[in-house]
Amino acid sequence: MLLGEARILSALRKAARASRADQTLLAVQRVGQTTLRFANGKIHQNFHEEDLLVWIKVACGGRSGVATTSSLKHSSLEKAIEAAIAIAHLSGKATVPAFSTAPLSLAPPRLTTYFPATVHQPMSENVRRIRALNRCCEKAGLGLAGSFTVGESELAVAGSKGLVQYQPFSLGGLRLVATREGGSGFAAQAFRDLGTLEPEHLLDRAMDSCRKNRDPKPLRLGKYDVLLEPEAVAELVEWLSGIGFGAKQMQERTSFMAGRLGEQIMGKRISIYDDGADPRGLAAPFDMEGVPKQRVDLIVEGRAEGIVYDSHYGKIYHRPSTGHALAYDDFEGPLASNLFLRAGQTPRAEMLKRMGHGLWITRFHYVSGLLKPREALMTGLTRDGTFIVKRGKVVGAAKNLRFTQSILEAFSNVLAVSREQHLVGDPAQGFSSVVTPALLIKGFTFTGQTK
Amino acid sequence: MVPPQIIHLLSETCKSLKRRGVDYADLRWVEETHEELVVQNLQVEHVSLSTTEGVSIRVLHQGAWGYASSCRIDPAGLRHTAEKAIEMAKAVALDSKTKAKFPPFPPSKGHYETPLEVDPFSVEMQKKLDYLMWACRILKDHPSIKTATAKLDFYRTDKLFLSTEGALIEQRITESGGTIEAAAALDHEIQRRSFPSSNDSCLAQAGYEYVKSLDFVGEAVRVRKEAVALLRAKECPSGLKTVLLMPDQLVLQIHESCGHPAELDRALGMELSFAGGSFLTPDRLGKLRYGSKRVNITADATLPRGCGTFGYDDEGVPARKVPIIQEGIFTGYLSSRESAAAIGRVSSGAMRADGWNSVPIVRMTNVNLEPGTGTLEDLVRDTKRGILMATNKSWSIDDRRLNFQFGTEIAWEIRGGKIGQPFKNPVYTGITPEFWNSCSGIAGPEEWRLYGVPNCAKGEPVQVMHVGHGASPARFEKVQVGRHAAR
Repeated sequence: MLLGEARILSALRKAARASRADQTLLAVQRVGQTTLRFANGKIHQNFHEEDLLVWIKVACGGRSGVATTSSLKHSSLEKAIEAAIAIAHLSGKATVPAFSTAPLSLAPPRLTTYFPATVHQPMSENVRRIRALNRCCEKAGLGLAGSFTVGESELAVAGSKGLVQYQPFSLGGLRLVATREGGSGFAAQAFRDLGTLEPEHLLDRAMDSCRKNRDPKPLRLGKYDVLLEPEAVAELVEWLSGIGFGAKQMQERTSFMAGRLGEQIMGKRISIYDDGADPRGLAAPFDMEGVPKQRVDLIVEGRAEGIVYDSHYGKIYHRPSTGHALAYDDFEGPLASNLFLRAGQTPRAEMLKRMGHGLWITRFHYVSGLLKPREALMTGLTRDGTFIVKRGKVVGAAKNLRFTQSILEAFSNVLAVSREQHLVGDPAQGFSSVVTPALLIKGFTFTGQTK
Repeated sequence: MVPPQIIHLLSETCKSLKRRGVDYADLRWVEETHEELVVQNLQVEHVSLSTTEGVSIRVLHQGAWGYASSCRIDPAGLRHTAEKAIEMAKAVALDSKTKAKFPPFPPSKGHYETPLEVDPFSVEMQKKLDYLMWACRILKDHPSIKTATAKLDFYRTDKLFLSTEGALIEQRITESGGTIEAAAALDHEIQRRSFPSSNDSCLAQAGYEYVKSLDFVGEAVRVRKEAVALLRAKECPSGLKTVLLMPDQLVLQIHESCGHPAELDRALGMELSFAGGSFLTPDRLGKLRYGSKRVNITADATLPRGCGTFGYDDEGVPARKVPIIQEGIFTGYLSSRESAAAIGRVSSGAMRADGWNSVPIVRMTNVNLEPGTGTLEDLVRDTKRGILMATNKSWSIDDRRLNFQFGTEIAWEIRGGKIGQPFKNPVYTGITPEFWNSCSGIAGPEEWRLYGVPNCAKGEPVQVMHVGHGASPARFEKVQVGRHAAR
């Protein structure tokens, strides 16, 4: 059950008012979620997690300090505020802290992010759903592994000069891996509204992929045209965000965008933006500093257009925060986490035909973007279905392949972008997602394969 | 340590669960404190003190598991959490085809505390910041160094474990560590060097004395010089090469290609939907030649200073040392009571949760490559042509843990038994058993180093665990360095 706006904000306001710091900002995230994990025909993990964390940031004499606590009790908040004040009094160059604790002129967008039915579905019904999916798979002679998560979350921010923000969220996700000897197929859906969940459709996708994933063949390494499904594209876009779309990476010059704003760094078919207010993603109206999330164009028709800021980096770059601050104990800088890759014109159903010869890839595994971040050189593997396509038709499965590829180069060689987009998100994260189409890419480089 | 009122509260809840007739229950209280200090480019970038405290209750009821956690630590809160755990178990029990097989285990009553010389939380933060500032100043002392970072982390975890079997275990675990990094830039080129490891702090289960032993100030000069030298270094050549790996890369190689595949829950398919499976399936136990005869890998939760060291795991099993690979043969798993029973074995004591709110799963402890003989110098001297690689930069491995690719921060040419010029952007790739079977030498105990990895991710929702790995420098033959030539 939600703790509720009144209870949370009252605790935060009281603590902020009592603080002897020049400015005090408090953020709370409370999560209650239930997860069922299943494999080998049974539910093997079955748990309900309740979590609450309060982040406190204070400004004292031009310096700031951070502390956290897992309790909303006034005594705990007071203790944590005192710890943050003590930290702020440590040495370090005094600068005027950038964060605001006063009400902001910009109001966050009104978003419906809480759907009670998602949270209040009886546990027995969730178990029944899983059992039904298992039975379907068993009948088809396939195994099934996966997870089903439903829950709720509350995010609240309060500042000593009157800033208050509160938003409740429901969240959920179903991940399915259908298995058979030597092959597997995957499908997943993240949602806020349980009513949008289509378990049977997901199961069909996972089972269909698994059935096709038969007797995978080794392939010659080299360049192949590829059709990347949204799950595969999303992982690449997330990595682009992590290594390149934030002001910290820009400042440290490790970003592939550094020194290139305004330049064409990808093909014209690629436009990427971040929009926390778009309910097609796992929307969230404000960040951990209470700043409303702004839509930020990151890549416009292949051109490096913009990056995201929090208050700290906004001050360095003389820009307002775009509402992308993370929790105060994280110092990785602002992060674009409500990502959208703009849809194209090509119906997904026509993309295999359009590709002719190549590989259809459902999902990537263990991508690393740390090889050469300036070039967005990444490596990773295909997983749960890599299919050989000839004359527009699937003619067999391939063993999982390792790619090593500059994503700037790959996104410069996009032949088609699907009209349909798909939401890819992790329900446990709750506030981050990628909404993306499928991409048809020419000459994707594969450098290894599994046994 | 554990406050008496917490022991009382949990004991009462444990008794009430027994009265409720559950098959089994365990209760964990955890309080964790984390202090983090970062200095970057001679500025205090970040200082934080985080505390978190809560309770989790796991029950086995009507043959099914239920688990619930909460940060509400009072009688009503614990009653509610216990009810939730029972409710979870009942819902699954109603629809369960098979009952969980959870073997009994002799209950322990014990206490474990990290041995340490200087409590890191007793050292003033200002002193720690001054130390970081000093190291940072040396790192930054070159115009090509654009970002110089020095970081310290300290963790204290107090834990109480109680079970309906009668276990009562108190543990206090203290970890200390840090890292320094210099990032050099020239035009569009960025090169980094780190010490003692990259990507995050290298931790040890120890006090502030460990941080002092790292000697950041002394190492900073070398780190800076190597970062600058890499800007002018040649690209690492590609091809099938003899490769020597330093321990600060080998730890990730062990982690990804031995530690994770040896987790029995993965091998039994329980992690298929997220982390993946394992090629080390139970039918290969005792049969598979995983590596050359030189290769001995152990999981040792008793190792002094190890980040995966404890007195008891999170289901009350005492810490132990178990062989994973013996003379190259796959012989053992990391396991829990239930997963081990599924293959007719006993738990290796590797059931761990990353906090009070997470469900325990099979995790690595300290998974180590046992030392061989000789020195790094001996290995180099015996190598006509090869590449020496150090300090992990990137990592990737497939979902069965076979095809891997690692990048390191730096490499050096070996020619005629001598170390020569540095190379930048080294990458090597391989297939796990082929790679370990090509091991042609492992240096001896005097070269053996233990690293604490603070960011091992597994589970849904993801749990981030601290684990340990030790290794001496080792040599591997015919390793693919760089890309395969495209055919």
